[in-house]
Amino acid sequence: MTGKGNVKINVWINEERLDALRKAGLDRLAKEEFAGMMLLEVTCTEEQKDKLLEQYPTAKYDSSTTHSIELLPREVKDKIFETSLQLRSTGPEVIENMLSRGGGK
Amino acid sequence: MTSYVGHNGKTIVDRVEADGREGRLGGMLTIPVRREIAHEIISLSYGFFTPLEGFMNREQVESTLNEMELPDGTLWSIPIVFDLAPEKISEYGLRSGDEVLLEYDGSPIARFSMDDIFDYNTDEMSEKTYGTKDLKHPGVKRTHSYQGKFIGGKVTLVNEPKFNPPYDRFWMTPKQHIDAFRKKKWKHIVAHQTRNVPHTGHEALMKQAWFAANEDMPVDQIRTGILVNAIIGEKRVGDYIDESILLTQDALRQYGYFREDVHMVTFTLWDMRYAGPREAIFHAILRTNLGCTHHMFGRDHAGVGNFYRPYDAQDLLKQYREKLSIKPVFLMENWYCPECAEVTNASVCGHEKKAQNFSGTLLRSILTDGVKPTKKVMRPEVFDVVMKSASDYGVGSPFVTEKYLASRRPIFNLRKMEVQKA
Ligand SMILES: [Zn+2]
Repeated sequence: MTGKGNVKINVWINEERLDALRKAGLDRLAKEEFAGMMLLEVTCTEEQKDKLLEQYPTAKYDSSTTHSIELLPREVKDKIFETSLQLRSTGPEVIENMLSRGGGK
Repeated sequence: MTSYVGHNGKTIVDRVEADGREGRLGGMLTIPVRREIAHEIISLSYGFFTPLEGFMNREQVESTLNEMELPDGTLWSIPIVFDLAPEKISEYGLRSGDEVLLEYDGSPIARFSMDDIFDYNTDEMSEKTYGTKDLKHPGVKRTHSYQGKFIGGKVTLVNEPKFNPPYDRFWMTPKQHIDAFRKKKWKHIVAHQTRNVPHTGHEALMKQAWFAANEDMPVDQIRTGILVNAIIGEKRVGDYIDESILLTQDALRQYGYFREDVHMVTFTLWDMRYAGPREAIFHAILRTNLGCTHHMFGRDHAGVGNFYRPYDAQDLLKQYREKLSIKPVFLMENWYCPECAEVTNASVCGHEKKAQNFSGTLLRSILTDGVKPTKKVMRPEVFDVVMKSASDYGVGSPFVTEKYLASRRPIFNLRKMEVQKA
């Protein structure tokens, strides 16, 4: 499974994370957002979104404006970033891999 | 004798009875009060609201709302009222002229000499204070939750609060503020109102305000200080937790972003009314009573939602400039400019189109993810302190959650007293 999902998860990238992205050759995917803080957009499918929302009830999906999942627990966001580095990808396989390993738990 | 002068040249109110006089309280009728009222009793008694000596009577409320002044002509903008349900008033058999003992959290807190029991239309109170009757406004909502009747009268604190860590390090009465400024030999003191963990935009505002407040005083000997005075009181889910605000503001000085001799952090017990322009006037009065000579007002001071325009508060302050006993320092917002490569002010940077605005939502999102921001956004030590305070006091989050509200440690405790009940 490669390519892009419809649902976005934004991961904050600081200098430290940008270094790690550089090593994985993914740094060009991070976009400057504010005063040196960057965002990495990881995407997932509708089905994966539903699974994430079910597992993490505090999270919310913004269906009207940003089409992104917000308020995922910090540990889950960390895990998404690590998995993205490992797989050198920002596509749905990141969430697929994470969910198959029992989510962010 | 040392003099303590506050708003409109009035002597700082001090209605605090020394310990060990509880014998005198025996046999008084006791009425329990809620947190909001308890906080205002404390603020009134120590003189934060000078010249008010107690809760407002009808005449004071009327002139505040209609004339923006107390009956003697002193500038005043926000009603400070004690409310009680009519059934309670009959149940207790309260009459004007009675003195009762107010109790909070199971301990006596103050004597209350009631001199006026009155009705007031809360729609009118809302509209005149907040410029709206919309219940979505948190101040309007608060006004509408008042319990039907109001009681005016002087209060006298009979039990001084003992503040718990970390609040104890930051608590000072108005007189203690004035004493502290004298000891530091500060001639000009500029107040910075805050409910925030400071990002670099806030820090730059405070620095800009320092230069404005120093005016024509020499700089070889520093005689100007910044008082960061946090508002501690009612919290809404999503606000920064009080502990994070105080500890991070203090960290700016501890880690050298402000010199030891120009910066100090304290707090005032006050529930934000989000009254925008009228609240700005109130903040000016409050900080005059702490001994400040200047007060910083930025964009959308004490506003909420879209109820006020960004510079409404500054406009009202200009209108009442003559009646203020403190000089307002007006500032526009700071932004990050990639061209200037710095945090700079909208009043001076000419790259408006490229400016990146600080936003609460953005900072919240960064801190929720716990990703250390770049130095241009937030000082690394401030980030470390905010994360530590989140785990020490905020059940893991620097933002107020239902869980924090249910389990937070009290800000202060009152001494248990053995008082013979009526
Ligand atoms: Zn610029």
